[in-house]
This record gives sequence, C-alpha cells and structure tokens, in this order.
Amino acid sequence: MTDATAAKSQAGFKEKRRIGTGSTQLNLGLVIFSMIIIALIIQGLFIPSSALDGELTVRLKPPGMTSNGFHLFGTDQLGRDLFFRVMGGLPWSLGIAGLATCILATIGTLVGLVGAWYENFIRTTVLLTISTFIAFPFLVLALVMVAVIGRGFWPITLTLGIIAWPVVARVIYAEGRGILQREYVLAAKLFGVSKWSILFVHVLPGIRPTILVMAAFLFAVMLIIESALSFLGLGAPLNAPSWGNMLSDSRQYLINAPWMMFVPAGAIVSAVISLNLISDGVAEISRMRARAVEI
Amino acid sequence: MTDVTKGPDGAAETAVEAQPAVSGGARGDEETVPIALNVARTLGRRLLELLVLLIGISTLLFFLLRLTGDPAAVLAGETGDQEQLELIRKQYGMDKPLIVQYGVFLSQVVVLDFGRSLANAQDALGLVFERLPTSFTLVIIAFTANLAFSIPLGAWLGSRPDRQTRKLVATGVFIAQGIPGYITGLVLIQIFAVELRWLPSIGNQGPASWIMPALTLASFQAPHVIRVISANVSEAMREDFIRTARANGAGFNTLLWRHALKNAMLGATALIGTQVAFLLSGSIITEVIFAWPGLGRLLVTSVQTLDFPVVQAAVFCIAIFVFIAITATDIVFLFIDPRLRRQRA
Repeated sequence: MTDATAAKSQAGFKEKRRIGTGSTQLNLGLVIFSMIIIALIIQGLFIPSSALDGELTVRLKPPGMTSNGFHLFGTDQLGRDLFFRVMGGLPWSLGIAGLATCILATIGTLVGLVGAWYENFIRTTVLLTISTFIAFPFLVLALVMVAVIGRGFWPITLTLGIIAWPVVARVIYAEGRGILQREYVLAAKLFGVSKWSILFVHVLPGIRPTILVMAAFLFAVMLIIESALSFLGLGAPLNAPSWGNMLSDSRQYLINAPWMMFVPAGAIVSAVISLNLISDGVAEISRMRARAVEI
Repeated sequence: MTDVTKGPDGAAETAVEAQPAVSGGARGDEETVPIALNVARTLGRRLLELLVLLIGISTLLFFLLRLTGDPAAVLAGETGDQEQLELIRKQYGMDKPLIVQYGVFLSQVVVLDFGRSLANAQDALGLVFERLPTSFTLVIIAFTANLAFSIPLGAWLGSRPDRQTRKLVATGVFIAQGIPGYITGLVLIQIFAVELRWLPSIGNQGPASWIMPALTLASFQAPHVIRVISANVSEAMREDFIRTARANGAGFNTLLWRHALKNAMLGATALIGTQVAFLLSGSIITEVIFAWPGLGRLLVTSVQTLDFPVVQAAVFCIAIFVFIAITATDIVFLFIDPRLRRQRA
C-alpha cells in the first residue's frame, strides 16, 4: 500500500482535494479490506476456540436470541454460532489465499524477469513453460494435486502457490522486456552493473504497480479457488471453519436455514470485492501517473 | 504500461502475442509468408505445449503418488492383509524398480491406456467418454448464452461510458465479478427451486433442468467478458477511423456495431481462448452443485475415492480439449487479423 501513498504525494497535479489515495475504488477497497484484517486480528487475539463448539439444543436457529444466548448470524446444523464460525474461517481462507499469493507472486516475478533478461534457450524454455501451464484450468490441477499430497493448510497453500505463477510470469515478462529496452538500463549495462542489480534495482521498481495489481487480483482468485476446493470437500479438513466448508454444509439446509448459506457467501463476496477494488484502484492510479508523466 | 483494465490475463496475452508483429516492423505491404505456414507454425507450437503438459502432469502424478503413499495399500483397501498386498504388487508390476514402473507407465499413457477404474473395473477412458456429451451440452449452452448476453451489453456499456445509467450498470457488473459461481448457483437454487419451485435443481432431465446450471456456468465468466469488451469498445470509439467514419456520415449505431465492436472483438482474442479453461473449471463446480452427470462430477468423485486411472484419463481429456480450443481460436484469428501473422520466415 506504500505505493498508493506515494501516488498521493506525487499526484499533486490535480487540483481537486482528495481523501485517501486519490482513487475512490482503492479507498473503498482498502477500507473493506482493513476491516477484514481487523476482524482477523480480533479473532486471533480475543475469541477462544471454545466459541466454535456447538450446542445441539439450538440447531438451525435464525439470527437473534436463543436459549443459548445471542447469535448474530444464527446457528448451523450442529448448533454452532455462525458469527464465530465465519470469524474462525478468516485464518483459513485469508491465510491460505494470502500465503499462496506471496508464493506465486515471488516465483512469477523471478521467472518473468529471468525470461525477459536472457535471449537464448532460457527464454524459450520459460515462454514454453508459461504458455503450457497458463492454459490449463487451475482448479483441475489443484484438485489432482490435493488428492495426491493430501488436505490441510500447508498442502493447499503450496499447491495453489505453485500452480498459478505462470499468470504473473507472463505479465512480468512482457513488462520487463519493455523496461529492459529503455536507455537507463542500457546506461546501467554500460556502467557494468551486474545482471541481478539491473533486474532488481532498476527494473523491479518499474513493474511494482503491476505486481501489486496482479497480486490483489490473484489473492481474490486464490480465495475463490480455496473456497471451491473446500466446497467440493477436497480442501480444508471437514471440521475446519473454512468458508467453503460452511457453504458446502449449507447445501442440505437451503430450505430450513438459508442464513447458513448467506453468511459465508457474504464473507467470500466482500473479501473478493474488496481485493478487486484494490486491484482496479492501483491500476487506475498507475495509469494516471503514467499519463501525468507523458503530459 | 499495459492496459490493466483488461484484467491481468487478457492484457498479458495481448502483450505477448502482439510482440512478434510489432518487433517485425512489417506493415503488410512487404512480401508476406503464406498463411499456411503460419497455421502450421501455430499447430506445431501448440502440439509441443500439449506434449510437455501431458508428460509433465503424468510424471508429476506418478512420482507424487509413489512418494506420498503406497498405491497397493489404496487398492487393497482397509481390509487388505500382507498377502493381498504382495499379490496386488505383483499383479500391477509394483514389485519392480521405480524407474521400470515409470517406463511401463509412460508407454501405456502414450497409447492412451490408463487402465481400469479401481471402483468398478470399467475402462477408465471409456468412463470419461461416456460423460463427455452431457458436459458438452452444458458448456456449449453456457458459452453461447454468455457471448449472446455479454457482447451486446459490453458494447452498450463501452459506447458511452460516462452516462449515469451505464455507470450504474458497470458497478453492478463489477460486483457480479466478485461473486463466485458456486454462490450464484446456490442462490439460484434458493430462489427458483426452493422458494418458487419453478425449476428442478438436480440432474439432467430435459431443457428445464438446463437453465440453472447454464446460468451458473455463464455467471463465472460473463462479468469478465463484459468488462473487457466494454473497455475495448470505449477505446476503439476514440480511434481515428471512427472519427473518419463519423465524418463520412455514419450513424451512431453503425459506428458502434459495425466499426468499433469489430475492432474490440479482435482485442478480445486472447480472452475468448482462455475462457475455455475457465469454462471447464467452472463446469466442475457447477456439475457438483446441480448433480449434473458430466465429466467434472466424475473427476471430483474419482478424486474423492482416489480412483487414479479415471482421474488421469479425465485430466488428459480436459487438457486435450483446452488445447484444441486454444489452437482453434489461434488459427481463426490468424485468418481474421493479419497483424498476428509473422512476416519473417
């Protein structure tokens, strides 16, 4: 997000007073996403794991008061409070998607830059690998991998991180090649700056906005895929309060307890939309800056 | 900077694909390479990619399976004793060294012999082929519905993006993009099957039962297509050739539908190709939600029961179809858009 604040200080060319980052989309996305992060911190610090236990006397109760106390979002088929359960799903869903995004952004950037630098068989190999794996549906690969290496937090995180990097690599490759043709890179080469210094000191800052845009976008995609895996019964362990698991549970109670579906659905949708807003907002700002430079 | 509104994958594809045409610097008036050569080159490259993908996936599957567990134990089930394990190992050649097993495995994969399903001893590939028509029905309906709806809406949104109503609709499309298809599916069931009782929610029982699965599947991708088309159209509407056409007296509708949209569609090349991959992932979830007897549901059940011959056959089928679809789009666009042809031999 430092990039966004930098944009604010640099974009003094616009006379209108602005609040926050200068992009309404980004502001809104950051507000929603920070609320989700605050919820995650509160969940980790203050909510005891006993809050996830069920009380069978209050099964499938709609939101409101019950004999077992107040349930903001109602209870599920085992009498578990859905508010605490959706909060408990935060570390699962956000943790897996966030860590997977870090992994895939790192691999993708490295591979993309390496492919952009070399002009020999290494580039050919990189491009072939990218276009081979980019076309294959993520979910199919993820399903197969998870089936083989098993469920749980780390297997899913690694699987998602390893399969989705070509998307990043392809964009970084294209942008990296563009930047490598600039004069300042040529100047750096003539000064004898090493290959890695050029790539990481001179090229990387130029593609940072793109990485940020892609990371936010793919964070949302990973969140959707993680929930889809759990929804199919192949993601988080069955009792874990992952949002996909909650959705999957709700399918049998759509008639009697529709809130069981709307609670996790709302959580997924708001997280995904906030990330899409951030992604679009950063893109908008970097476009505005590029235009300002041209003028 | 690439135009990021197109969505990272769309932008990426155009950027990379456009590279040779741009760096070639040819303007079309130079002597061009026959189109057949371009087609052959595309076919060759895609076939190589497919080969790499298939070998990569089967190798990965083979070694991961052997490393993480004993397939013989899976085959024997929980009741299997030591004697049965030995028998199974001998029967499936698992007593030989790993590298020999790998060789045997690859030679079988090459002739598309995936073995028999561990669940019911039917031919794995046959099981997959049995499910293909039902999956195709769903995918084709959804894809057609998606394009028939998204292209006009995208063009309408992109033609005058600053008008108030269109801003409102664009916001709606943005929100819709954040709703995963499985949630759409569940909400549709909640409304049309549970509350209104208009449509059946399970299985393939004639046209009425196609509506909800097709809508769900189309909803996976429609927002993305709408946004790309709309961005491309609004860009094309600012181009010089539109101004020329307007100066020549073309009406707004002609401008939009005949000139701008045509160019916008060319820009959406990459997107429509990659949509096939999305369609297939989307159809897996859709088929599970609506108990649709297709390939996706077969894949999920066989993954759940660790029925690896069927998993492998299904993955191969999906890979081959994705590549056929992408290659077909590549070739179609080679004919439509001369800029994509390589000028140098």
